[in-house]
Amino acid sequence: MKTAILTDTTKCIGCHLCVEACKEVNHLPNDMPRRWDMRDGLSADNWTAVIRRDDDKFVRKQCRHCLEPACVASCPVAALHKTNLGPVVYDKTRCIGCRYCMMACPYGIPRYQWDSTVPYIQKCVLCYDTRLKHGREPACTEICPTKATIFGDRDKLLGEAHQRIRQNPGKYIHRVWGEHELGGTSVLYISDVDLSFLTYGARFGEKPLPVATRPAMEAVPFTFLGVAMAMAGLRWIIGRRDKVQREEGSQEPEE
Amino acid sequence: MDRVRRLKLLLWMPVGLGFAVTVDRFFFGLGAATHLSDATPWGLWIGFDVMSGVALAAGGFVLTATVYIFRLERFHSIVRPAVLTAFLGYVAVVAGLLFDLGLPWHIWHLIIYWNPHSPLFEVGWCVMLYLTVLTLEFFPVPAEDVSSLARVRRFLVKMRIPLVILGIALSTLHQSSLGSLFLIMPYRLYPLWYSPILPVLFFISAIALGLMMAIFESHFTAYFYRRKPETAVLASLASAARWVLILYLVVRFSDLAARGQLHDLVGSAWQVKMFWFEIVVAGLLPVVLFSISKFNRRPGWQWGTAAVGVGGIVLDRVNVGGLIDLSRGAALYLPSWQEIVTSLAIVAGAVLVFLFIIEHFRVWEERPVDPKADPKRLPELNPVGETWLGAPVIAARIKYSLAFVLAAALAFSFLANPKVEATGIVPVPAHRARGDVGKLPGISSRVSFNSSLTPSPSPASGRGGTAKRWVRAKRQKATAIPAGVLYLDGDLTGWGVTFYHQREVERNGGEKSCAICHHMNMPHDQNSGCYECHRDMYQPTDAFRHNWHASRSGANLACIQCHEAGYPRTSAQVKPCTDCHKDMIPPGATIQVSSENLVDASGEIRRLITPGSVVKINTYTAVSYVDAMHELCVGCHAQVAEREKKPEVAQCAECHKGKLNYSDTVNLLYQRTAVAGRRVVMPPPPASPGGAAMKP
Ligand code: SF4
Ligand code: SF4
Ligand code: SF4
Repeated sequence: MKTAILTDTTKCIGCHLCVEACKEVNHLPNDMPRRWDMRDGLSADNWTAVIRRDDDKFVRKQCRHCLEPACVASCPVAALHKTNLGPVVYDKTRCIGCRYCMMACPYGIPRYQWDSTVPYIQKCVLCYDTRLKHGREPACTEICPTKATIFGDRDKLLGEAHQRIRQNPGKYIHRVWGEHELGGTSVLYISDVDLSFLTYGARFGEKPLPVATRPAMEAVPFTFLGVAMAMAGLRWIIGRRDKVQREEGSQEPEE
Repeated sequence: MDRVRRLKLLLWMPVGLGFAVTVDRFFFGLGAATHLSDATPWGLWIGFDVMSGVALAAGGFVLTATVYIFRLERFHSIVRPAVLTAFLGYVAVVAGLLFDLGLPWHIWHLIIYWNPHSPLFEVGWCVMLYLTVLTLEFFPVPAEDVSSLARVRRFLVKMRIPLVILGIALSTLHQSSLGSLFLIMPYRLYPLWYSPILPVLFFISAIALGLMMAIFESHFTAYFYRRKPETAVLASLASAARWVLILYLVVRFSDLAARGQLHDLVGSAWQVKMFWFEIVVAGLLPVVLFSISKFNRRPGWQWGTAAVGVGGIVLDRVNVGGLIDLSRGAALYLPSWQEIVTSLAIVAGAVLVFLFIIEHFRVWEERPVDPKADPKRLPELNPVGETWLGAPVIAARIKYSLAFVLAAALAFSFLANPKVEATGIVPVPAHRARGDVGKLPGISSRVSFNSSLTPSPSPASGRGGTAKRWVRAKRQKATAIPAGVLYLDGDLTGWGVTFYHQREVERNGGEKSCAICHHMNMPHDQNSGCYECHRDMYQPTDAFRHNWHASRSGANLACIQCHEAGYPRTSAQVKPCTDCHKDMIPPGATIQVSSENLVDASGEIRRLITPGSVVKINTYTAVSYVDAMHELCVGCHAQVAEREKKPEVAQCAECHKGKLNYSDTVNLLYQRTAVAGRRVVMPPPPASPGGAAMKP
């Protein structure tokens, strides 16, 4: 089973109960406006946020738990990893604090404890250790009073999302966010507003991001051996040429 | 040798500054020392210290390849300094990395935890391996003087060719993998820089940079040690560098053309200007300057051109490393002075070590000797001009230490109050509530209106002149709002709460009721606004301003005018404010302000409104504006609800209706029933923290 969350922004009333629940379950302290905030509500102490748009629509933001996560592909010490169940989890005992995951994530999700001398990456982990492992759904979906955000099997939720779109013509934009883009995500959205603002403003293709580095990484052993052999060969050839020249030079009188 | 002395003195200063910043960085965290943020997690330390450091060290592999692979023996004289530069460059990279990593003591995790898909993993391994190779390559030089190491040395010299080949292969990987790092973020890098062949571009520019760095470094030492520069050899390096740069430019522009980005080359975005600046400095200018054969053999010309090119390619790395970041919502990242100082300090430190090594080991054919530096030589006493500080060497050391200490002291003084910076809390000043919303058309300049919900015609739909629309909008606003409505929006975001002040006054007994809420007055004032003491939205503020009372330009009070003489001067031994400010607490004020009852044992802020309680002020801390408002409104409403045996009154959404717009205001005031449908229905609290079970 691949678990997922489906958020229907038309049902969200902006009560922030999911934020509160997340804080409680994950023992996150209260938030303050900080210099380093991205002003989207997420921070090292807020793993999920309810963005209130100017048109009074509410959109919950959290880690998308990509099917092919850029953060996981980029972490040099494999501190982030995608579990079989779906969540992308973080092992803070491995992290070296390079923040490459923050650079790589196309949704700008991981946040850093900039004010700490022992800082860690902070992001939604789909309540993996606290709840999922014990057979319980994430705190945020459980508490949601309008069931705007629900938890379940990814395929079933996708079906549900398409069904809602079909049954309410004109209510939703005909698209399930997270179904295909960048290889798909485990956190899906249906909405009546364009949700591209949750990303870097770019329209994502369907190719997962880790694919972009793959050719470069696969070329590594070949480059290494190729360069080494080419260098050895060159040295030998040039050495030989010099020697021949020198021998010829010794036979003919120099100018 | 005087030039070197002066140079070293100069170099010790950034090292001193860097020392202070190091303390700052490791005691208070990255947030205190840098301008990095969640939007731009990488900055100058990655762009300059790491990426440029690696690129600057490219001279090592380029020159070993030239001499040992291509067997161009005439470059032999500059191989050793180049290898030394590379070695120190890599040491500097590691030092920079230790600053930048959040958990530098975990750096060895790269060895035991593997993720071969990550370019950074490759970078890390290449740094480790190549640093080892460089150490082995350079080790024979210092080992020359130590006879007991002769065997190791002979072995390493024999191993030279495999080492050189290994070094070249590792460098190729490493220089290019720094480019691969950014392949995964096509949405973050500006399109003029992002390219699928970024690794190739990085590799080519690294070769050019390596060559130019060798020229630069050779002239640099020649100047400071007054040696004759190897101008002829360097001229051929320069011409090689020129060809590599031309190749670089060709590849870069054909890549842009292939990706169809050429139209991006014109534009007014600052990134476009930055791109052209970078291209000119890193490519065009050095190519042109190196091509003018008339000046090509002049040392100064070579030196200057190499410096320009080096600067340009370093700029490229810094740009890719964080400056041209496209991340959403982020303001422009500019490095903090601490970041800049640290980078300078690392460079200065590396140069100092470099100078030390060339003075003590045979990096050149003959070591630079300083006649004045001979410790056995008797010091000269110059009775007229100079203070005698012992032997010249000692004198120099004292000066260096002085430079270091003074610089460190200076930097420490700039780091005053780092704790506030470290927590990074942004002060959010609270502002006066705007009164009589309906009569305030000017308010629109301060509050961003929600045009889609405002009844006034939106720019898209409305025909007719701007002035007409404005008048129409104003008329609508003026009629829609009853008099006496305040708009509470302390942080001026437009998200605020309308408050029918007039009605509250009437309900609570007219003019006599002011003191119920306005529990304190500023001197010579009546009914001071909340924001005057609760000055920050989220943080407690000092309502008393002790230093102002004590200062001459302020109230000019002596200590004993408030504190009882002969006792410790604490807030306990002080006379009440009301002794001087007789009208500070208006008659009938109901809010007791004292430190004990602000917060109860469980950390909850207690209800402050206890009607009829005695006012005793012994705290000078005003709670945040948000807390004060919630306490006042929610507290009072809760009391009323309790008194009248009504269910809970305070639902967030009932007051926090949205941005300031008139339909909502009217809704809130007159059509409570109409908005009830939008109220949050709270789920019943779960009996056990269980709920819907999930079957994975
Ligand atoms: S949204 Fe970002 S942090 Fe979350 S899994 Fe995807 S890449 Fe990783
Ligand atoms: S910051 Fe930590 S989790 Fe993120 S990529 Fe670096 S090591 Fe991995
Ligand atoms: S899934 Fe868990 S960690 Fe993630 S936002 Fe919801 S409550 Fe927070």
